[in-house]
Amino acid sequence: MNDPVNVLTLFLFNIVLVNIPLLYGTVGEIVVEKAGSLDLGVEGTMAVGAIFGYLAGCAANSILVGLAVSFLTAGLCGLLFALLTVSLQANQNVTGLTITTFGLGLYFFVGKGIGERWPAMTAADSLVKGYSALEIPGLSKLPVIGKVLFSHNVLVYLGVVIAVLVWWYLGFTKTGLRLRAVGENPAAADSVGVNTLLYKYVHLIAGSGIMGLGGFYMALYMSGSFEGSNCWINGYGWIAIALVIFANWNPVLAILGTLVFGFFNTLQIYAGALAGAFPGPLGWLSAVPPQLYKALPFLITAIVLVASSVRKREGSGQPAALGLNYFREER
Amino acid sequence: MKNRQPLFHVVKRDHAGPGQQVLAYVAAVALALAVGAVLLKVQGVEPLTFYRQMLTMGIPGSRYPWRAVENFIRLFVPLLITSMALALAFKMRFWNIGGEGQFIMGAFWAGFAAMKLGDSLPQPAMVLVMALCGAAGGGLYGVFVAALKVRFGTNETLLTLMLNYVALYFLQFFAETKTDWNFFLDPASARPKFAKFPESAQMMTVPAGPLNLNLSLVAAIAICVILYIYLNYTKRGYEIAVVGDSPNTARYAGMKVGRIVIRTIFLSAALIGLAGAFHVSSAGILSASPTNDVGWTGIVVAWLAKLNTAGIVAASLLITVLQFGCQAASATYPSIDANFANLLQGVILFIVLAADFFTRFRLVRTRKEGAK
Repeated sequence: MNDPVNVLTLFLFNIVLVNIPLLYGTVGEIVVEKAGSLDLGVEGTMAVGAIFGYLAGCAANSILVGLAVSFLTAGLCGLLFALLTVSLQANQNVTGLTITTFGLGLYFFVGKGIGERWPAMTAADSLVKGYSALEIPGLSKLPVIGKVLFSHNVLVYLGVVIAVLVWWYLGFTKTGLRLRAVGENPAAADSVGVNTLLYKYVHLIAGSGIMGLGGFYMALYMSGSFEGSNCWINGYGWIAIALVIFANWNPVLAILGTLVFGFFNTLQIYAGALAGAFPGPLGWLSAVPPQLYKALPFLITAIVLVASSVRKREGSGQPAALGLNYFREER
Repeated sequence: MKNRQPLFHVVKRDHAGPGQQVLAYVAAVALALAVGAVLLKVQGVEPLTFYRQMLTMGIPGSRYPWRAVENFIRLFVPLLITSMALALAFKMRFWNIGGEGQFIMGAFWAGFAAMKLGDSLPQPAMVLVMALCGAAGGGLYGVFVAALKVRFGTNETLLTLMLNYVALYFLQFFAETKTDWNFFLDPASARPKFAKFPESAQMMTVPAGPLNLNLSLVAAIAICVILYIYLNYTKRGYEIAVVGDSPNTARYAGMKVGRIVIRTIFLSAALIGLAGAFHVSSAGILSASPTNDVGWTGIVVAWLAKLNTAGIVAASLLITVLQFGCQAASATYPSIDANFANLLQGVILFIVLAADFFTRFRLVRTRKEGAK
């Protein structure tokens, strides 16, 4: 058990397992932000997707139903955000924060309200089966790497696939390029005949839906045990907002960023074990305060944010019209 | 080709009168309560009884009614000051989402002063020193973001958001690290636990009948009055309004926009730090999560009130009643918890945000053009 290679493998395995929900949140937020909207409601949106997806998944005893319902309910949060900020010109920061407040309130209200009747995940056997590890033939037999990368549950692979698809969509398809035009300069996009209203609505809803899938993952990872004091999402939504910046609005870089942030996230749990397994080179790990690991994603993002604004580099992926409402009559 | 036009288009209009706005808000609250009532009914809770308990906040029939009032004030004061301070920043279109972080820093440095200077100062002086330390701590934590924004155009929304968590884990480090040098903790306890402040570091109270009136309430009201005068009757307050409306206009008029932004954000963040200091000195102890979410709720309040001073007082009262009331009422109903307040708060704000559209814009029927 204390075999150093085992500890290392388990540590790397958990970096992937525990942090892929971040990737969903991040990719969803990238889609939303590329449409020019800054949605600070990721935490609430994920919470809504998580609880309704879980309840539906248990009721139908199917992981597919869970995925669909989490996507749809979180998508409704996106619809609400779009309705208020796109059609009714409400302030995006305030609307996003309200979605978080409301979403968390709803999460606890529903969870507490169900109380004793809360469904146990173990009772839904095909849901459990759907979430169990799916070993990729051949690759999963590789030493270390096989366990770390190729013997995960299906949602891990799905997250990576979605990230790559979104990357391709944003960079190489006509609609994706138009979407980016909407985020950079909605007036210009509008003037060449792009239906900005439709683009914003569709992508705000779809992006929020993707966040919801991450929430559903989180619910399954926590084995669906509802606690009255702590939400399953537990701050992942906020880290996702940070990760969007760290990944420079690029979904493929977001995969890498998830692993970097996940590294710190998981290190706070595994620092002791790693220090024990490698007392020589890693013994100092147990002396680092765990709060530092928690703060690091935010600290790094703050530094990236400041550094990129100082250098004003050309390649920044931040949409130019991010956070600004587009009012057509003021073109 | 057919020339298709939308049936309506949207036109800006002058702000609707105050009467209409108040009406919109009353309707929003009523509607939110109605939505809440449906949800309560679904849970099998009688809405009217729940709301009665919520709005009276469990005060009648309590064995210590005045204790409940004191607790209410303790919740109300930090929210009121924070909302006022955030409104100051929002007036300039500076999106200070960092209220949480600035509040924590204020609480931390006030606690630092309390533990270090301890019994060496008399009570009024000690409380004053704590307030100053808190204001300085919060202010500096906010002002360097403003400086970066002015100098490099750094996105302040995202940066202040990140700094909230840096501050939170910074405080948690002191809350959870048991070592010799960590003077914040209680040496008598084996587990890490914050020590109580010395007597002199506790907020003064004035007996008013059966109530021990917390002096921070008086200070908060004074701050509201001063800010009202500052914003409406001084040159500096006028400058804030101009910069908020149009930085370019301000620049043409010869105002030093950068300096105004930095000065105002320092003031805003310092006030939030002050709220943090008031909070810990009223509690008499630090805590690992001292904010009670005022940094977030303050944004809601400031927005509900349209950044208007009197409105902020009313809105923060309303939100405190919701939160404190839900806490009190949920003691009777195990299936409803204090988070129900967040749900109601969310619904109220959604409705207000939507209603705002109709006070800011008009829908105009598009006239047929080119019809022969």
